[in-house]
Amino acid sequence: MPDTSPQPRILLTKSFIDSHDRAIATIALALRDAAMEVVLIDYEQPEDVVNVALQEDVDVIGVSFMSGGQVETTQKIFAELQRREVAGLPVVVGGTIRPFDVPPLEAAGVKAIFRGGAPMADVVESFRSLSRAYRGLA
Amino acid sequence: MIAVRETDLAGLLDRVRSGDSLAIARAITAIENATPLGADLRLAVRGASGLCQTLGVTGPPGAGKSSLVSALISILLEQYPRIGVLTVDPSSPVSGGAVLGDRVRMAAHSRDPNVFIRSLAARGHLGGVTRTTRGVIDILAAAGFDLVIVETVGTGQSEVAVAGITDVKLVVCPPGLGDDMQAIKAGVLEIADLLVVNKADLPDAGRTAGYLKAMLYHRGHDETRAVLLASATTGDGLKELAEAVDARFAALGAANPGEAHLIVTRDVLADDAADLIRAFIRHADIDRLCGTVGRGELTHREGAIAAVNLFVDSQGSKE
Ligand SMILES: Nc1nc2c(ncn2[C@@H]2O[C@H](COP(=O)(O)OP(=O)(O)OP(=O)(O)O)[C@@H](O)[C@H]2O)c(=O)[nH]1
Ligand SMILES: [Mg+2]
Repeated sequence: MPDTSPQPRILLTKSFIDSHDRAIATIALALRDAAMEVVLIDYEQPEDVVNVALQEDVDVIGVSFMSGGQVETTQKIFAELQRREVAGLPVVVGGTIRPFDVPPLEAAGVKAIFRGGAPMADVVESFRSLSRAYRGLA
Repeated sequence: MIAVRETDLAGLLDRVRSGDSLAIARAITAIENATPLGADLRLAVRGASGLCQTLGVTGPPGAGKSSLVSALISILLEQYPRIGVLTVDPSSPVSGGAVLGDRVRMAAHSRDPNVFIRSLAARGHLGGVTRTTRGVIDILAAAGFDLVIVETVGTGQSEVAVAGITDVKLVVCPPGLGDDMQAIKAGVLEIADLLVVNKADLPDAGRTAGYLKAMLYHRGHDETRAVLLASATTGDGLKELAEAVDARFAALGAANPGEAHLIVTRDVLADDAADLIRAFIRHADIDRLCGTVGRGELTHREGAIAAVNLFVDSQGSKE
């Protein structure tokens, strides 16, 4: 029997090196106001993201990039998802995403890419529908 | 690849007992969401928390609870090989959503296979913990964790519910003698086994500790309770704090080994009894009783006793 009324659970994360987290804070509040439960962490290694996502039983992972490592980190997260046997867990990315990052990010399997300025309603809806799909409620 | 949502109780329990992170996480979600599987899980692991040590950490917002817990984990892992941590944050009363940020301060343990941290949203439950925290502790105990630490919501008001579900209660205070102190007075002192003034690297910490000691003494408390000084930032006093926590556990165990189990069983019975009454309270006879109380013909307490009697009668007529 599926969960019928679970709050979506979302992990939002950024590298501990990026001190700017205004984007993450804004999205976290928007998701909270849309009735979601949002776990925040700063990761040191991409493996941390997956370990925390497992413990927190989140339905979507959102990774924000402010400086570098967009493609490499994302690929490592997907490899770790595979290794931990949760390859179906959706990942979205946001922040500083350059045009040439997009093809490899999509190839890695990211479900959505949000640049600065993406309408918040779209961002929220994307998290919500990915969560529902992951829980088999779509 | 395992199913996204487990439905098989026996299979999930086996994996929980083997310490599988994802299974533990899914079991916690099921319990939190009170799904049919969650209800079965709760029954299956009921009382397991008697198998592990439990530490409650409470105190005003920003006192440094999460930072202290993170630092304590590093030290306590020497005695307790596997540690579970539950951190509770409030849910928005408007949307029901929540931002769960405690584990940002526990980043040092994000990768440690011997530390399992789970963020819980209070979902409207008062008292600093969640409605299902006890069931979640049972799951962690069944999964073989040696110690479970529960960080409550930091409203500083009356996070006393944690007292009923953890063996040792640590109250964290920030330095200062202002409003925070007033908040701590309101009930939290009563449940404290240990008090620690954190941020001892800041001025006033020593004075705050002295003030707390005086407060305990004046209120006729067992003044042997320790008031410690520590700093999660510099590491000062952390070893002593960990030793004090450990000594409390040892004292509990030595006092009466059978007693811990008795207390757990008593709590479980109280919970079950409350659930039974709560389910019965929707009964039609109760509505009539509520009218009587509403008109002031019975006090609330008399009404409550009458409700229990109605419940007892209803059980008799079933047999
Ligand atoms: N100077 C100093 N700052 C500290 C110390 N411990 C924690 N802090 C800071 O105090 C702030 C709050 O710390 P947290 O650990 O998040 O406090 P908390 O009690 O868990 O907060 P809530 O969960 O929001 O109630 C952070 O900015 C910490 O860096 C300390 O020992 N000294
Ligand atoms: Mg905290």
